Order: sequence, then structure tokens, then C-alpha cells
Amino acid sequence: MREKSQLAEAYHKVTDNVAFRPRIGLILGSGLGLFAESLENQLAIPYRGIPHFPQVSIEGHQGNLVFGQVIGKDVVAMQGRVHFYEHGEMASVRFPVRLMHLMGVTNLIVTNACGGLRENQYPGALMLIKDHINFMGTNPLIGPNDDSLGPRFPDMSQPYDASLTNIARSTAKDLNMDLLEGVYCAVSGPHYLSGAELKMLRIAGADTVGMSTVPEVIVANHCGIKVLGISCITDMAIPESLSPLTHHEVIEVAARTRPRFISFIQAIIAKLPTS
Amino acid sequence: MNISEQIDKGYRFLQTQLESAKPKIGLILGSGFSEVADHVQVLSTTPFDHIPGFPKASVEGHEGIWIVARLDGVDLVIMKGRIHYYEGHSMQTLSLPVRIMSKLSIETMILTNASGAINSDLSPGDLMLIKDHINLSFTNPLIGTNNPELGPRFPDTSTTYTLKLRQQATHVANQLQIPIIEGVYLFTSGPSYETPAEVRMMRTLGADVVGMSTVPEALAAKHAGMKVLGISQVTNMAAGLSSSPLSHEDVLKTTAGNSSNTTSFVLGCIKSLAES
Repeated sequence: MREKSQLAEAYHKVTDNVAFRPRIGLILGSGLGLFAESLENQLAIPYRGIPHFPQVSIEGHQGNLVFGQVIGKDVVAMQGRVHFYEHGEMASVRFPVRLMHLMGVTNLIVTNACGGLRENQYPGALMLIKDHINFMGTNPLIGPNDDSLGPRFPDMSQPYDASLTNIARSTAKDLNMDLLEGVYCAVSGPHYLSGAELKMLRIAGADTVGMSTVPEVIVANHCGIKVLGISCITDMAIPESLSPLTHHEVIEVAARTRPRFISFIQAIIAKLPTS
Repeated sequence: MNISEQIDKGYRFLQTQLESAKPKIGLILGSGFSEVADHVQVLSTTPFDHIPGFPKASVEGHEGIWIVARLDGVDLVIMKGRIHYYEGHSMQTLSLPVRIMSKLSIETMILTNASGAINSDLSPGDLMLIKDHINLSFTNPLIGTNNPELGPRFPDTSTTYTLKLRQQATHVANQLQIPIIEGVYLFTSGPSYETPAEVRMMRTLGADVVGMSTVPEALAAKHAGMKVLGISQVTNMAAGLSSSPLSHEDVLKTTAGNSSNTTSFVLGCIKSLAES
């Protein structure tokens, strides 16, 4: 299979440059990429230097695979995410997750900026993703299945690992931090949704809405990676009181939330198993 | 090659496989229904990948054979195994077998599948007649240029699953003393199973069961003016309705345990539909 040989090439390029194999992976969402700069002994490999690695084109997404340590624990972070709406196909979204899997990542922390659909939420709030709704209209596993990676029909009854979720909860408590919980709904984008669409998603059971994360979580579950999902609510998408939204505002709120976000993620990683 | 050329090519090839048969009924056997094919007189068999325009079936439990068969004097075409959207095929490819059957003068399609229960009144092993469906795949087999010879640009789907066939099937089930209910089948692309949040959404939307097939074929059949009977076997509770994770192995296990009921029901439906 073509993807397999492309992944192998990318793997060799990356591992030639890095002496360790992190078990912990991070995908950093809009405005949260600077987390990578808090890593100890960081080594950044630009996506464009990795064969077949999809490129990123969005403001607020830098495009580096950054290796380093958090409180002595090896991690690899995607500084800048690959979105479905940038490429129009899912192979690009699959690639980084499968590369991490190949490198030995077993725990993945996915983060994003998203819109809040519920009145009890507020811009700058952090939300633990309990579950998700794939409303993108496609699925990253459509196509032939590689049985060596995972089953044809992967179970999704618990896409976000229960023990990681509990670690996040207890960490928030330790830090005396407000941590919301809810269902993240992914749409393709790239336009922000209409009021009527937001209303529909709320009826469907969504608490937040965004344009990422779900495909990566499906791919990670397929190959047996445990997932923790943390959203930063950057704007309120309450259908009844909708005001025009820009990507600039999203980045700004994410930037304001960043210090809290960074210390939260660091404290979570401190509690994660490394084997 | 456009769809009409593809249909013609497949049609010309499959016409030569008919032997003396004049089938009016087409049957697509989904996961757990393949045993039906063991109870008919086989006139000819053709692997999918020998048929022009057909891909190879790739899923465990789906063999991928086109069978011309006879049951108590009733001729029929059976697809043992089917082509799925999640395998990476286009919606057009999914509609191809139904189109070819229509061109072979088949008037009635019986579509069977395995599904997950969203309605908590259902249990694994239950048989359900599809009375309606929800297409939540975000695509449609009729997208593209419409050939008016195949059907209208905007086909009506107010009754895709023919009422009379459902009544006949209910009668068959009653006679065999097999419990049967009617419900709404929701089609999603898969191949990952649904999350609990998705299952709750589907229930809110009005679905009784969820699966990864049938609707593209039903839409193509309706477009072609065929009568449709949809039979779904519940093989598992959808995510969030039971504590255990979902696996295709369990799906196959449930269908195996219930195969005598499903087989006699489908055979009964074929005979009943042929009489009318």
C-alpha cells in the first residue's frame, strides 16, 4: 500500500533526527501551538522537511513536529494541525496520527479551539471532550482497511479513554481550575455555521462545534492509541445571540487562555504513564 | 465510462449467465443472510470481480458472488455479499448492481442487512422490516447527470419500501411464527461504529436501527421504478446501549445463532412475492 511506504519514509526521516521514541503525542489546536515552545530540549522538524507529510496553511498553525520533554517525559507535539477543509480528503488527516503510531505513541492528547453551544459556557473555558459527533460527512477510514493497523469496524463506544479522562478531571481539581465537559461535534467547515445549523447541532446533542479532532480520534482509536481530548472554547456559538465571528478573535481568545492551558496540559502529562 | 455504458457492459455480460432463467426478483444478501443461498437451486455463479465494472468484495462475511438461482420454480438473481461505501467505492458503483438487475427486467428488490439497535425496545436477533430510512451519509447515489431512461431527475421517496410487500412479508413472518416489527433504518458511511453521542443523535432524529448499507441500493431501485422490500436483522445494541464494545465478530456470531429463522423468513418472502 502506498500510504504504508510513505509512512515508512517519513518515519525514517524523523527517527534519523531524534534519539528517543515518545509514548505521548499532542496535537495542538488553533492558537495553542505555542505550547510546543514550553518543551524542554526541544527539537522542531518542519513538516516540509518530512517526506509526504501534509502541509498546513492556516494562520495560528505553525507546521512543525516538535520533540522534547515535559517535566522529563518524552513527548512529540504537532505544532499546527492538518485540517480536512485544507485538503478535501482524509488521507492527509490520517497521516500524522499514523506516523505517531509508528513512532510508538500510545497516548494522544488532542486539543482544539471551538465554539460553545451552551449558555453555561464562556469564551476561554476549557472543556474535556467526553464524546463526539462526526458531522463532517465523511470518515477517515473509508477505503481499504489495513488489518495490521486495526479492525475493519473499530468500536467507538468510548473514543476518549476513561482513565485519561479521569486524570484530566483530577488534575483540574488539583489546580483549582474550572473544567467543563461535553460532546464535541465536528463539521467540515471552512465557513462558520449559520444560526439554524447551530440550533440543529444543539438538538443533535452537541455542546461545542469545530472543524477538526474527530477524524484524528477515529484514526487513533483504530490503531489502539488512547485519546484525551481538551477543547478551548474561543467563541460563543449561541444561535439566539450570534455575532459575526473572525478567525482573529478565535486566535486572540486562545492566546489569552494559553497560560492556563499550558499549565493544565503539563500537569496532566506529569501524571501520564510513559510505558 | 459513464454509468449508462457501465450498466450496458455489465448487463451484456450478466445476460449470458441467466441460462434459461427469467428472474423478476433480485436479492442482496448482507451480513448474516448468506445461508439463504444454500437453499436454492443454483443455475450459475459469477464472482463479482469477473463482472465488468464490479469491484471485489473485501469484507469478512461477504463473499461477493452473483448467483442466478431457482426456488420452487421462482427464478431470481442473488448477490451473495455486497459492495459498501466504506470500502472506498463511489456511490455510482454501489448503484450499479441494482441498475443491471433493473435492465435484466427484475422488478422487485429484496435488500437485507445487519444493523445495530438504537431503539432500546429491540434486541440482538430481532428481525425488522424497513418501513423507511434516513440517509445520513451526506451523499447520494443519484448525484451526477441524470439519464431519464433510468428514472426521473427527482425521484419521489415518500414510499421507498413498498407497502404491499411489507404486508406480505408480515404475513409470512406470522405464518412462520417469527416475531417481526417495522422500523426506520439509518444509513451512515462507517466503517467506524457510532459513538454513544452519535447514537443519541440518531435516536433524536427518529432512527430505530443504524447500518452501513442498503440505502444507496434502495434509492437506485426506487429511481428505477422497482418495488423494494428491506429486511434488517438486529445483531447488536448500538454504542451506549450496552456495556460491551462492538465487534464484527459478535455481529457474525449473532447472525449465525439466528440463521434458521432469518433463512426461512427470506425464503418465505421470495415465494410470497413471486405469487403476487
